[in-house]
Amino acid sequence: MNTPASAPELPHLRLGFVALTDAAPLVVAKTLEFGHRHGLTLELCRQPSWAGIRDKLLCGEIDAAHALYGLVYGVQLGIGGPHADMAVPMVLNRNGQAITLSPRLADRIASGDSVKEAFASLNRPPVLAQTFPTGTHAMWLYYWLAANGLDPLADVKSIVLPPPDMAAALAAGELDGFCAGEPWHAVAESLGVGRLVAYTSEIWPDHPEKVLACRRDFVTRYPNTTRALVRTLLEACRWLDEDPRHRASAAKWLAAADVIGVAPDLIAPRLLGDTGHAHARPIAFFEHGDVNYPRESDGRWFIAQYRRWGLYSGDARDDATIAAAVNQTALYRDAAMAVGVDIPADADVRVARFCDGAVWPD
Amino acid sequence: MTSSPTRLRVLLVTDTAKPIGELRDALARLGYEMLTEVATPGALPRIVDEQRPDVVIIDTDSPSRDTLEQLAVMNEHAPRPVLMFSNDTDQQRIRDAVRAGVSAYLVEGLDAARLAPILEVALARFSHEAQLRKRLAHAETELANRKLIDQAKRLLMERRGLPEQDAYALLRRHAMDHGMKIVEVARQLVRLADL
Repeated sequence: MNTPASAPELPHLRLGFVALTDAAPLVVAKTLEFGHRHGLTLELCRQPSWAGIRDKLLCGEIDAAHALYGLVYGVQLGIGGPHADMAVPMVLNRNGQAITLSPRLADRIASGDSVKEAFASLNRPPVLAQTFPTGTHAMWLYYWLAANGLDPLADVKSIVLPPPDMAAALAAGELDGFCAGEPWHAVAESLGVGRLVAYTSEIWPDHPEKVLACRRDFVTRYPNTTRALVRTLLEACRWLDEDPRHRASAAKWLAAADVIGVAPDLIAPRLLGDTGHAHARPIAFFEHGDVNYPRESDGRWFIAQYRRWGLYSGDARDDATIAAAVNQTALYRDAAMAVGVDIPADADVRVARFCDGAVWPD
Repeated sequence: MTSSPTRLRVLLVTDTAKPIGELRDALARLGYEMLTEVATPGALPRIVDEQRPDVVIIDTDSPSRDTLEQLAVMNEHAPRPVLMFSNDTDQQRIRDAVRAGVSAYLVEGLDAARLAPILEVALARFSHEAQLRKRLAHAETELANRKLIDQAKRLLMERRGLPEQDAYALLRRHAMDHGMKIVEVARQLVRLADL
């Protein structure tokens, strides 16, 4: 497979990840050593925060990472922190995130209250947590609030907490709800301190979520390494979608103390696609490569949302150029072809339909 | 440095094993005003709001980092992560800070020269040599693991007459069926082959 011309420039990669179910592609690639076939050894480095992922990518302490789609674009635009030219060589998963509310609020909604009415019953602004200011969870939460007639900047108090702390904060009454990844909803529900009220796939069906992230100069300096890493992770994503038993194995590996450190029973059901909501779509890692193509139109959506919420004021005419520079479509195509993964028919523009009837690209 | 209007207000976040709190006395001696320490992410929004620190020193690996990032974006008075990655900061200092495990956040517009002693105290306290050694050792282990898997694969190829891919698939299946890492399966196989 490795002719000298395409051999990775770096044989050993340090990959950052955060303790979440959707770190599965990295954990599978490492556990089954999918990298070896592509000339790579992988070292997984768990990070306790997204800020840590960002800083270690920027200073070269890690080479690439499992990252929120929005984190990459936040750094690219320099929102609230350092700016750097970033790259998204591939998407790692779709769906699989959710919004959980305190049992009291969830009960009101279940008995017919609108979200707005339920929050009004608190007689104070609800405190809602997400995971990073420019991250996907912030954007799903804000979108969902707005679609329910609330102004996320004025009507709620929006804070960030580490996902493992969400359940305790709900239990202590410091929090009324949160938007994050799994298994932290399953954990909150198992403790009886919160109930899942909406999956993010009910906001934007099949939304992109985590991506492989690295600095853009990493891609330019080590193109063969980046392609080898994309091939490796594509094989891991394919493996995850191949057979439900594979996902059951992955749930056990994810449960390990040095990965997520919660019981496999809290990880497996939703990883295996059991949502319990008729209109929710399960987490997906591959779907014949449909998940993984780094579509520029998806990247542009995040820039448009930052503008919507006053986080970014750059000229909208530049958005397409920015997304084209971040999302590594040409490199992805090469890597996908090398491992027999199809390029989706809607690669260039995927039309997304949202819960409020909006269509993207608009 | 001691007249109160110009004294910088420094907040230490002490929610990891790294003893950030140890900086307290050294920085106080340099004339900084040391605020009540914060030990949980949940307490951070209120303290930043009430005490308005000019500088926040936090372990690079603190779980409270993202909480602080949100404050930086949503609240114009909150400290921002600009010191480590500002335009004029040299890369070596950034690397040193990250490897030493210290992140600094500060209110925009502060004079960098006034902050230098804070970082110097932090960097001196938390040397990064131990971490570099650990990293090197880890890379060596990874390469050794890879050699072990190759060896196990060759064993299977020779003894069972399998092509390389099948030998690898067999190792992988065994790992899955037994909930083991593939390298552990390889180690067992190689060890038993010596009997």
